[in-house]
Amino acid sequence: MNLLKISRKYHRWLMLFLGVQFVIWSVSGAYMVIFDIDYIHGDTLVVNHQAKVNPDKITYSLFELIKRYPSAEQIEVGLFINQEVYRFRQDGTQYLLDASTGHLLSPIGEELAVTAARHYYSGTGDIADVELITDNPPFELSSRALPAWRVNFDDFGSPSIYLSARSGKLVTKRHEFWRTFDTMFSLHVMDYEDEDASNWLLFWFILFSLLAAILGLVLTYFRFFKANAQDNDDGNESVSENKETSHVSD
Amino acid sequence: MSLIKTFHKWLSLLVGLQLLVWLGTGLYFNVMDHDKASGNQNRQRVESPAVDLQRLIEPKTVIREYDTTVSMSLITLLSHPYYLLIHEKGLYRHFKNSYSLVDAVTGKPFVITKTIATVIALESYKGTATVAATVKLTGPSDDFPKEQNSLWQVNIDDDLNTSVYVDAGSGRLIGHSNDDKRFVDFIFMLHFMDYASEGSFNNVQVIVFAIFTLFFAFTGLIWTVELGFNGQYRPALLLGRKLAKTKKVKVFDKHSKSIGQLAMASHENLLDSLLNHDIALPSTCGGGGTCGRCKIVVDSAVKMTSADRSQLTEQELQAGYRLACQHNSDELEQLTLVDVTEAETHELELISSEFISPYIKQLRFKSVSGERVEFRAGAFMRFFIPAAKGSSIPAYLPVELLHHWQDVIHMEYEHLACSRNYSLANGDGQTDELVFTVKIQTSPNERVKPGIGSSYICNLAPGETIEAVGPFEEFYARPSSSKPMVLVGAGSGMAPLKALIEEQLIKNTSSRELYFYFGARSQLDLIYSEHFQQLSDSYPNFHYLPVLSRPGQDWNGATGYVQDHLGEELATELEKALDKTEFYLCGPAAMMESTIELLKSHSIADNAIAFDKFE
Repeated sequence: MNLLKISRKYHRWLMLFLGVQFVIWSVSGAYMVIFDIDYIHGDTLVVNHQAKVNPDKITYSLFELIKRYPSAEQIEVGLFINQEVYRFRQDGTQYLLDASTGHLLSPIGEELAVTAARHYYSGTGDIADVELITDNPPFELSSRALPAWRVNFDDFGSPSIYLSARSGKLVTKRHEFWRTFDTMFSLHVMDYEDEDASNWLLFWFILFSLLAAILGLVLTYFRFFKANAQDNDDGNESVSENKETSHVSD
Repeated sequence: MSLIKTFHKWLSLLVGLQLLVWLGTGLYFNVMDHDKASGNQNRQRVESPAVDLQRLIEPKTVIREYDTTVSMSLITLLSHPYYLLIHEKGLYRHFKNSYSLVDAVTGKPFVITKTIATVIALESYKGTATVAATVKLTGPSDDFPKEQNSLWQVNIDDDLNTSVYVDAGSGRLIGHSNDDKRFVDFIFMLHFMDYASEGSFNNVQVIVFAIFTLFFAFTGLIWTVELGFNGQYRPALLLGRKLAKTKKVKVFDKHSKSIGQLAMASHENLLDSLLNHDIALPSTCGGGGTCGRCKIVVDSAVKMTSADRSQLTEQELQAGYRLACQHNSDELEQLTLVDVTEAETHELELISSEFISPYIKQLRFKSVSGERVEFRAGAFMRFFIPAAKGSSIPAYLPVELLHHWQDVIHMEYEHLACSRNYSLANGDGQTDELVFTVKIQTSPNERVKPGIGSSYICNLAPGETIEAVGPFEEFYARPSSSKPMVLVGAGSGMAPLKALIEEQLIKNTSSRELYFYFGARSQLDLIYSEHFQQLSDSYPNFHYLPVLSRPGQDWNGATGYVQDHLGEELATELEKALDKTEFYLCGPAAMMESTIELLKSHSIADNAIAFDKFE
């Protein structure tokens, strides 16, 4: 057998086993490159508020705060919805304090969470459901963000706004396009649990796919750069030797 | 379906190399060392001491002083507390942000200068290091292309060419990069086709290629499914002859009488399998599915190939008729023979092999068994060409022919076993020799193998043997007829005509009129011309009429195409006897077709025309 025939035979056989994965790679790859990553990340789902802190509203001083929380860390002054607040950690717990009165606002209740979610969300849809997640976060939420409120909106792409129940900050936002992206990525790297590209299944698939692709390129080479190659590409292998089945004087 | 295949081939040209790049870089991501890829080999954690909260000035004072502030946080830089004020907040830290830094103890503004940036960078660097340079970058950096803020790049003089990046506004350590990470970034750039290094996979070229690849993969998948339906994924085809299954197939003769169970290997077609049991089906194409002769009857559920469909009628297909050459023993349990040729297999020994024109050889064989092989003039035999190595140029070329072969490309190749049909060229019944004239099919260009059958048989040395089955008598002179015969041949398609002429003149001593129109290119291709000249001298009823399409000088005979010349004579000399003349044709398809058309235009009946197809 010559190179052309060997290439055709093994290209066909390899693709019998790899073909579906090639389709998966191309579909998932196309999805990931066609949708703009910022859109996938849900940047359009939220309002990037630029409201400024009014220093006159900070009537509860840092001095008072550190008397109550002597080992406060990562102290931050900012806004929660439209209210001046202190945010800080102490002993691994996040606190949210009204900067006017010194009232402890954390942990945030459902009503406040819904108000905050509406404040962050750029859309106009109704709230579908609200859920406090304290353990076993869904795949799309990091466990470091717990406890967190998940507020689902009844809108195009089923958007979810996650906010920290301790700091009131926007933790993340998700919609179906990002969830699909995650699925596409796991299909692309053939790791259906951790989305880790270093796995043996992917390794062997790529190795055989490389072989199949190289054989395919040999076929392309023969098809385009060695025109008139000796037999018809579509030929049935068992009858491809017919060029000279003449009967008199071949 | 052919559109799908055409698409697939053109798309392969378009995306084939990129697909290799994707797979190659994908393999790299699969096996790469993730620690190296992070660029953090020389990075260490920065431990900051606890801040003495008592010394801090009130946030309210700072915010009042700096006015428009979205948020202000207490950070530690170089073990000292600072307030970081964000005036314009990006959605992410790498988006555009506007900052101020204020010393949280003194309340004085603090700026990340070149020196400060260098110290912050070195704080995160493991071990001692020499700084090669600290540069302020205002545009996106190659190492962190998505960063939209201005950065300090601190280049360390180490083996890995580490660079440390510090946000020039906030003093935040953005990250480390080094040659290992840069290499990984380069591979990512290739995978994402991000030739502008935007750190993005949403660029136009990758989108275009992704869409083409999508079509490429789908057309390939459809093709694969089609191959599956056409039975192209039989295990025997993959494993080849060594592992091919052999199975017993029940064979019945045409009267439905059992012949027994015959072993047939799945890697060969039924035509060849039956031949191994000395059952020869008629076939003129040698298993190519083009002559439609090797009919058998099988279970009508056996799939039909395109050759079955084109050669058999709908009724035959429904009744289970199939072409034996298109199927193998995998597909069936039993088969019924329709038409069997009473042909035997003979082992033939080559007596002589000589060139009679630059590309045509006369081969003389005799049966090894010593028994005479009887045949009717015009018959052919099917030769078994074994798998072998071949050469495009005959091993023993006479010196005077060398110049005809000098432009033929020399190729060495291997070929599979196959069978080829060749017509017997002798018909005089004087010897027990079997004579064949075989044209060595040279390849038109280096891409095409020469004729493997003709090259093999013409390279046999005298004394060597080959197996052949036959003779098959499908083309012959109508018996006991004394009507005039017109024989029309061209090129090397003269062998069976020569046999017919010799049979009529020498064996049968017939006095019927014989007109032999023979077309060739030039004098060189006029094989056996002396022989025919002698015959026409000895037998006044034999008329040898060579026609040359490209005669050299000193040619007095007819010129042009043989069928055109015949056309002229049909209208003149042959006209009177047309209705009682028999026509025998053998030659290339084009010549045959136009000759048959010509004869029909002269109202010659179909049954007066016999032809031997020659492809």
